Amino acid sequence: MRERVLTPKRRLYLAWFLLHSLLIITISSREIFWLIAHRLTILPTSFTSTAQKLESIASTTLAQGLASSNPVRRALLAYLHITGIERGYGYFAPNVPESYKLLFELHYPDGTVEYELPEVRSAAAELRLASLLDEIGRTRYDALREYLVKTLAGPVWREHPEAKKIRAIVGLRNFPDIHEFHRGARETYEFLYAYDFSLARDSPQTKSSLK
Amino acid sequence: MESWRRRLTRFLFPTESDYWLVVLRIGLGLQVLLYALSLRSDWNYLFAGTDGGMNGRALSEALLSSQSPLVPRLGRLVTIGSAVGLSERGVLFLSWCSLLCAAVGLLAGFLSRSSAIIAWFIHLCVAKSGGLVAYGIDNFMTIGLFYLMWSPLPDRWSLDWRRGGKAQAKDSRLSGFFRRVLQIHLCIIYFTSGIAKCLGSDWWNGSNLWRALTRPPFDVLPPEVLVHGEFFFPLAGALICLLEAGYPFLVWSRRTRLPALLAICLMHVMIGLAMGMYLFALVMIVLNLAAFGPEFSFRLERIVFAWLKKSPASTG
Repeated sequence: MRERVLTPKRRLYLAWFLLHSLLIITISSREIFWLIAHRLTILPTSFTSTAQKLESIASTTLAQGLASSNPVRRALLAYLHITGIERGYGYFAPNVPESYKLLFELHYPDGTVEYELPEVRSAAAELRLASLLDEIGRTRYDALREYLVKTLAGPVWREHPEAKKIRAIVGLRNFPDIHEFHRGARETYEFLYAYDFSLARDSPQTKSSLK
Repeated sequence: MESWRRRLTRFLFPTESDYWLVVLRIGLGLQVLLYALSLRSDWNYLFAGTDGGMNGRALSEALLSSQSPLVPRLGRLVTIGSAVGLSERGVLFLSWCSLLCAAVGLLAGFLSRSSAIIAWFIHLCVAKSGGLVAYGIDNFMTIGLFYLMWSPLPDRWSLDWRRGGKAQAKDSRLSGFFRRVLQIHLCIIYFTSGIAKCLGSDWWNGSNLWRALTRPPFDVLPPEVLVHGEFFFPLAGALICLLEAGYPFLVWSRRTRLPALLAICLMHVMIGLAMGMYLFALVMIVLNLAAFGPEFSFRLERIVFAWLKKSPASTG
């Protein structure tokens, strides 16, 4: 007996496959268009306006033009998250991003100062901490950066409750390229931001200020 | 029109054995197990709120809520737990245990589909609530587990199959369909990743490779050792670009499939060893082997069995 080509069940799977693939391709290509539109690639600047238009089309396809409360947009975003396809795949592309360092300066009532780095116990968690440090260094929003620094300062303070002030210093790590390394150059550290967190004497709340 | 439909059906719904599903289930089971074990000592630090953690979950979940309230997250589990008298730490511990049990279930093929669903759900909650500390591995685990839980489980190597699952009629074309989806997804992943790298100037001169290998926390090998590979970096950087961008073409052709698969797996092994990203390497190798590997691995198995049969030890 001849097998039916597209049964209703297979049609359903086919429809899902087409939608799913369209979303994966749109998200992946949008990231590339974004890189070109922001002149982060080796392509000449004449590609910029085309890339901007294509990025805009891709964003519209992903319902980004709809209001954030729109149910279609929300349902689509939920689908992207639960299938793991909400972001593109340009790891370390087009170039390896900058690396950042966060250092805590612990000030004690007797005037002594200690230095601490945000610490985790496992190598697996260290990779995750690096993602957070990248976000701290990369973000253009001061309030967000301060909040993120505070999330890491909290556990340090719990470990050292006797400290009266913690200064968090965010810096950019500059690594020499391979030729500079040959010539004896080593990693340097460039100061970016500092935040002071201090406990009020009679209140458990943390205050922070940008220096 | 009929021929076009027939061709589309043959392409998307090929008759497929479930060996690829064996690889995916066992591979992801191992991945989830190692993921849970590797994060055990930092589980509370990374994912708890104010109760001993860094409380990054609050921001991740708030951002997620602003995008869509439908995405699973740990905060919901904590709320449900508190309604029945469980502390946040208790809920986190239970989540970790559930992930571990699901991993063992996947490895053994015991309650395969339930294990896949639990692993996907708990991992998704953790990945989304820990959005600030997430990286590529979380997306690939979600992708793999999502396909696994929809695939026609149980497979023939599972305990479920031995317990009577084989009595169920298996749709081999459905198995082929999900494998095809995984294959196409991987092709898109590598192609776009390769194109994005090709567009960066520093992949062609090897600078990016040097930077990636010397950048903390990926600096497993000391730069004093790496510096000896000065002439190797430009070649390796260009090869990575070409291999990733050319992956769909190389892996789709039967003649170049095995070399392409071996090359991409070797690349991930090197990433794992040289950058300390062992779990990231493992999940990528598992997805690649499940999508394009079973023919080779089971052909190899047949060759080994045939050789063992012929060998004097077995004949004598």
